[in-house]
Amino acid sequence: MTDRGRAFSAVETVREGFRQTGYICNTEIATIVYLAFHLEKPVLVEGPAGVGKTELAKKAAAFLNVPLIRLQCYEGLDESKALYEWKYGKQLLYTQLLRDKLDQIVRREDDLGESIRTLHRYEDIFFSPQFLEARPLLRALQQEEGAVLLIDEVDKADEEFEAFLLEILSDFQVSIPEIGTVRSRTKPFVFLTSNSTRELSEALKRRCLHLFIPFPDPDLERQIVRHHVPGIPERLEKQLVLFIHEVRRMELKKAPSISETIDWARALILLHAEGLDRDLTRKTLNTFLKFEEDIRAVDEKIFLLVDKAIRETA
Amino acid sequence: MDRVLNRFIVALRGAGVPVSVSESIDAAQALAISGYGDRPVVKSSLGATLAKSVAEKEIFDDCFERFFSFHPLPSELAPAAEPAAGEPSAVLPPIGGMILEGDLGGIALAVRDAARSADLQSIRFFTQRGMFTARILQALNLDQLDRFVADLSPDGSAGAGGTARRIEQGRDAVVDMVRRYVEEQYEIYARESTERVIERYLWDVRLTELEERHYERMHFLIRKLVKRMNDRYSRRRRRSKRGALDFKRTLRANMHHGGLLFDISWKQKKVNRPDVVILCDVSRSMSTVVRFCLLMLYGLNEVVARVRSFVFCSSLLEVSDIFERCPLAEAVERLRTGEGLDIHMGRTDYGSAFWDFTNRHLDAVTGKTTVIILGDARSNYGDPAEGLLKQIADRCRRLIWLNPETPPMWGTGDSEMRRYARLCDLVMECSTLRHLEQLVRVLVRIP
Repeated sequence: MTDRGRAFSAVETVREGFRQTGYICNTEIATIVYLAFHLEKPVLVEGPAGVGKTELAKKAAAFLNVPLIRLQCYEGLDESKALYEWKYGKQLLYTQLLRDKLDQIVRREDDLGESIRTLHRYEDIFFSPQFLEARPLLRALQQEEGAVLLIDEVDKADEEFEAFLLEILSDFQVSIPEIGTVRSRTKPFVFLTSNSTRELSEALKRRCLHLFIPFPDPDLERQIVRHHVPGIPERLEKQLVLFIHEVRRMELKKAPSISETIDWARALILLHAEGLDRDLTRKTLNTFLKFEEDIRAVDEKIFLLVDKAIRETA
Repeated sequence: MDRVLNRFIVALRGAGVPVSVSESIDAAQALAISGYGDRPVVKSSLGATLAKSVAEKEIFDDCFERFFSFHPLPSELAPAAEPAAGEPSAVLPPIGGMILEGDLGGIALAVRDAARSADLQSIRFFTQRGMFTARILQALNLDQLDRFVADLSPDGSAGAGGTARRIEQGRDAVVDMVRRYVEEQYEIYARESTERVIERYLWDVRLTELEERHYERMHFLIRKLVKRMNDRYSRRRRRSKRGALDFKRTLRANMHHGGLLFDISWKQKKVNRPDVVILCDVSRSMSTVVRFCLLMLYGLNEVVARVRSFVFCSSLLEVSDIFERCPLAEAVERLRTGEGLDIHMGRTDYGSAFWDFTNRHLDAVTGKTTVIILGDARSNYGDPAEGLLKQIADRCRRLIWLNPETPPMWGTGDSEMRRYARLCDLVMECSTLRHLEQLVRVLVRIP
């Protein structure tokens, strides 16, 4: 805990720590992670696809040196998939295997009432932790050293599931009727991500710190590219980031994400490029544009975009 | 800082960000942890705890910049800054002294104190601006200042005249400053509230009396309503796909496995989406109601499966294809202008409308159809043709009549509402947005 306390002693320390794990963030992200740690509150992260929402949670786990437990949400997700489930198959199998044993136990009794009372004494065996399948939420609570719990795309889950999450997120405990209450030893650090396909409930938002991550500004993105593609020539790196920013401003089906910027940079390095040119750009468009229409739209303007990127970095 | 934070939260609420008590506590705690030293850090801390969506973040940014900005002081007061010697200042209120000394900072502070004592942050409507300005000026003792000037003038000495002039100039500048300050604070605390009042009014205004300048906002409200209804309803439908274990069926299905449970069945809840056929009276008195009703009905694709729409006046015509071809807003607009519609816009005749419908379109109605008739049932003393309506009523699942008139008017004069009502499963008044919302509830709840 003291180690962790030191890691979170100031906003700048958090920022530096994340940088060392390979996540370059701005002050806002660092501030909110810092606050979330001290207030012990979940962080709700929103933003366009590909700005590093999920990555933030992963790096937080690396930074804290605890396991990352991920719960991917989808329509119809329910408690048995998210929290725990009894291993029905194993229970059935065991009753079959132990049939003779059960017979013996029951045979000793004369009447039906006695038999059932006897069986009652044993039924706890089948509802014990050995037969419990822990799903992500329960697993996160069970970690001795704490964990980073990532609840990904919570907007895809149903509203009832959100209501159910509230209980866990505020108390960090769950009750399993057959076993009792499971309370977390160390509160997990929770990240929820959302792509805003629907409004989340007020109650959930109230309990979280809200972090909106937009696409990074050129300076930050250049830092990110430099960090991930160490040998990149400065001229190329500048032009490439500017080009991507111009492309993001267009009306596209899917704007290029940060990871796609990095992919493109790596591709260009492999092709020994020192700077952008039209031909090379045209040939490598498909590394960061994933729709035919998008490629066509950018292709039409490629002269303008490349020239602009080159001119502005000259 | 706590008081400043509180005021900021009031401002945020005024701007339309719903900040709860627990969130304001979070904000205070966050500030206590992150400190007040670094402006971006303060802004991020407050943003994370107070604004919980992208839209709210935008409002928050705007509000934050305006609230924590430094107000430039008016420069026109500067010339008055020469020291004033040997002049009476016995009944001069503090503000007068500041004017004579040219103490701009002091004046700005005094204005702010006065504003606080006048409870300026409770300003909600633009009509209150004058009142608050007056209250603040009073708190600044400006009337006393005026009396002081009045006492000065009569003796006519040059020095006194100069002082009086300077005070008067300064006074005007102060009034100006207060006005601007009130304006600014109104922007901070109240911009949204006026909007909200209009919105509340629109929920209950009779659609027939709606002014055209409110149409845009009404469309927005209907979109909001439709979205809410669709959300709620799709959730119900989705739930029907899930369900608890159907134990009886599971046991029965697995009998031949010797009691081992291989195939599991789940309890399913069936939720139907009704088919809707709507007959709209499009005579002039009805046109706004029809417009908004159709706008809503066609938006509800999660709630209703299919809509077929007919309009009638003297004769009846199917218009479903217009809605299929055109965007929603354009389609209702085309209905309103009647452009390209082969319909006879004479006197409204319910009898012949029903006759047209039963003879030509009765196959549109099946046992699953909900028929909605939207009309005032005023048939200009023509044949009401109840028999034909009964044919429709017998064929459909439900017959709902929406009447834009208030119930006491039903059955008066040429209104056949009472007679028709006997054949309908449900008769509702439908003249406001609230009624439209009720209609959706009705459509959904009863299968």
